[in-house]
Amino acid sequence: MGDNTVLQGIRVLSLEQVHVLPWGTAFLADFGAEVIRVESATHMNDRLSGPFPDNAPGEEWWNEGGTFAYWARNKKSLCLDVTQPQGKEVFLKLVARSDIVTDNFRPGTMQRLGLDHDSLAQVKPDIITLSCTAYGHTGPWRAYGARARTVDAVCGLSALTGYEGGPALRASSNYMDHSGGLNVAYALLLALYQRRKTGTGMRLDLSMYETGVSCIAPALLETQRGFARPRLGTAHLWQAPHNVYPCQGADRWIAITVATDDQWRALCGVMGEPDWAMETRFATILGRQQHRHDLDAHLGQWTATHDAQALMHLLQAHGVPAGTVHTARDLVADSHLRERSYLEVFTNTNAPAVGPRVYAGRPFRTLPDVPLALHLVSALGQHNVQLLRDVAALSEAEIQGLVEAGVLATQPRESTRPAPGAAAYQAGDLRGDPHYRAAVQTLVDAVHQLSGTHQPAGQGR
Amino acid sequence: MLGLLDDVQVVELTHSLAGAFCAKLLADQGAPTLKLEPPGRGDAARHEPPFLGGVPHPDRSALFLAFNTNKRGITLDVTIPTGRDLLLRVLADRDVLIESFAPGYLDSLGLGYATLREVNPRLLVVSITPFGQTGPYRHYQSSDLIAQAMGGFLYTTGRAEAPPMGTVLEQMAIVTARNAAIAIMAALLGQRLSGTGQHIDVSIMEAVVSTPPNFIHAYSFTGAIAGRGFGDQTVMDGMHLATSDLEVTLTTAGTGGNPMETWAAFLHEPQLLDPKFSTRAGRARHWEELLTLLQGRLAQWKAHDFMKAAMDQRLVVGVVQSPEAVLHCPHLAERGTFVALDHPEAGLLQYPGPGFLANASNPAAGGRAAPRLGEHNLEVYADELGLSTAELAMLRAAGVI
Repeated sequence: MGDNTVLQGIRVLSLEQVHVLPWGTAFLADFGAEVIRVESATHMNDRLSGPFPDNAPGEEWWNEGGTFAYWARNKKSLCLDVTQPQGKEVFLKLVARSDIVTDNFRPGTMQRLGLDHDSLAQVKPDIITLSCTAYGHTGPWRAYGARARTVDAVCGLSALTGYEGGPALRASSNYMDHSGGLNVAYALLLALYQRRKTGTGMRLDLSMYETGVSCIAPALLETQRGFARPRLGTAHLWQAPHNVYPCQGADRWIAITVATDDQWRALCGVMGEPDWAMETRFATILGRQQHRHDLDAHLGQWTATHDAQALMHLLQAHGVPAGTVHTARDLVADSHLRERSYLEVFTNTNAPAVGPRVYAGRPFRTLPDVPLALHLVSALGQHNVQLLRDVAALSEAEIQGLVEAGVLATQPRESTRPAPGAAAYQAGDLRGDPHYRAAVQTLVDAVHQLSGTHQPAGQGR
Repeated sequence: MLGLLDDVQVVELTHSLAGAFCAKLLADQGAPTLKLEPPGRGDAARHEPPFLGGVPHPDRSALFLAFNTNKRGITLDVTIPTGRDLLLRVLADRDVLIESFAPGYLDSLGLGYATLREVNPRLLVVSITPFGQTGPYRHYQSSDLIAQAMGGFLYTTGRAEAPPMGTVLEQMAIVTARNAAIAIMAALLGQRLSGTGQHIDVSIMEAVVSTPPNFIHAYSFTGAIAGRGFGDQTVMDGMHLATSDLEVTLTTAGTGGNPMETWAAFLHEPQLLDPKFSTRAGRARHWEELLTLLQGRLAQWKAHDFMKAAMDQRLVVGVVQSPEAVLHCPHLAERGTFVALDHPEAGLLQYPGPGFLANASNPAAGGRAAPRLGEHNLEVYADELGLSTAELAMLRAAGVI
């Protein structure tokens, strides 16, 4: 970990689309594995999904999307139609020289293509395969599909989540994609570890549903003893105050969580010990919990007169756990993340007009810090020739034949450009920041200064 | 157990749920994992309500039981010199130390990474803290709610016209633990090649930032600030809708790009074909009307019957299942997802597996429930470290173990 060479020499063929599997294999790519996205020229979901600069897809939109750059970074692109016999033949040649094959088709698709684990193991006996599906390859629900939000519902997380006294609401639009993706990376690394020890491959059958179920284990134990958790929003089963409170400005909030009497007394001290806070009913944990609605109302009136970030610093300085409810804009400007070089800035060299953009980084690092990895964002089919020549040992003539047969491609089969804004990022009520370019540029400059290689600032289109 | 990690010796010295869950992920794959707890009270999670059976007891916290499967437990006060020396002996032949003290605290005890590396050059030291080892917030206190807030997750959850809502059961600890386990596995592969360890810094805040829906790069591409309320008007794609029993949630997936035609046919509701519902924007504009139409039809279904019928036609829907429904789910039963573990105090309970099958079996099948406080003191200190019974008695009397 930390350096980008630990998986050097590991080759991964990934028949991946949408979110969960690409997120998982991205970890392997960051660790130096040669992760090859085996892409279709007709199903372009990932490359269609944007966001595009200012929601305006360009001429080569399929190489320009932000989410694509984030999830596919450091991977190669092989645009090969494995549903055609010639494509399958080439794919199997690559499998013979690969370590891992992953897919997130519905169960049955890989069998139908003759690319299931047993077929691949005939070509490469120690192959590791991972199939990432909604419900797994066995059981009565195996044929069913999912989206992250339906998994959120089915796994029990939505039922536990919601405002106090209100209905169940899903926890997140795509937390279950992220959880599943993290589990994909963990499972693959386990299998690689096992193979180094024993020389044997593995068949991994990973289910988004079951990954979700593993996220709510305490509630599953509780229900076996007759306890059902109430929905409490941002409140807590036994701590108070424990909530979000309004601050100065529109839609600005601070989270304050008090677990001990000491923290409560510290909070009272910061507030200047107002009469309401000195009431005996708030002096104990039991009293605060019992009267938490009154407590929250009083506390909210006090916080509403403060700036969230300044109040966080003040409370933390006095030993009161508190944190600003950050937006994306806050995080891009955040001094802590900046000092830790957490956010990554990179330019997609295959879409130079897009310029440098900011992406979330990895939450782990080796101390002392190692330099950030270089990020490749592959153009569609960018590595067709290199992989077929160097790995599958095909001749130039054979490769040309595949191009002419339409088995290989470097452009989408149907060139319907996404409508401006249509494939825009969807995550709720979007409030645009008219000054975002300056904020992004500040970070871009800071990162370039840190890395000592000042690059001309691209402003996108 | 499958025991994929049966040669990876892990020591957990954390008081945090992220650290505990990370060690659990390794332990559930067979890594021999030793959990070190302070003598007396033990891990803070032992005292977190609710308690199974309702009676407060350090072995009955659901949170503790769920986050500590497959570990052995010993007690040790590492803040005093005798305890420090014992810790160094424990660490001499281990592979991984997971710790979650405030940055700099282990150094102040003479247990900093430089010291640990001298004792065991191959040791991977993994520090999991709310904000990481460096940066201006590194000494700030946190909680799962604060992690949700600081990492940007909280702002995007809930209804547009209501405060941020958040989610439950320490999901930020879990997502951090999964990231940390990935880092550990990569580092282990490196350690097995090079023979040397490293110090890995894991930040909960940063794990949270990498969790919400791609919102950092979305901001940098378009200036969009992801907010709340995505589910408020999306009747066809995410809103929870009542049936005659449980709620369900629809999607437009699996409709071949013709969601309204497909759903109109499936639900026998021709009014869904009204052109005003044909686009996403139209459906949002007329969401209340759409909701009324759908509710009329869905009231005729039981949720699981509806799910089966829709999914059999390759539509993609979900049922809002309670934890109890999940526990009794016939699909999970056939998959062998749950593992039964017995515990002398908490009894026999079903625990969820890791979320994947390896060679068609649940790798965590078998195994043991969470340790009682100091349960393996004798086994570890006497049998493995070679302390005499007299020495053990002295350590116990002095409050070291």
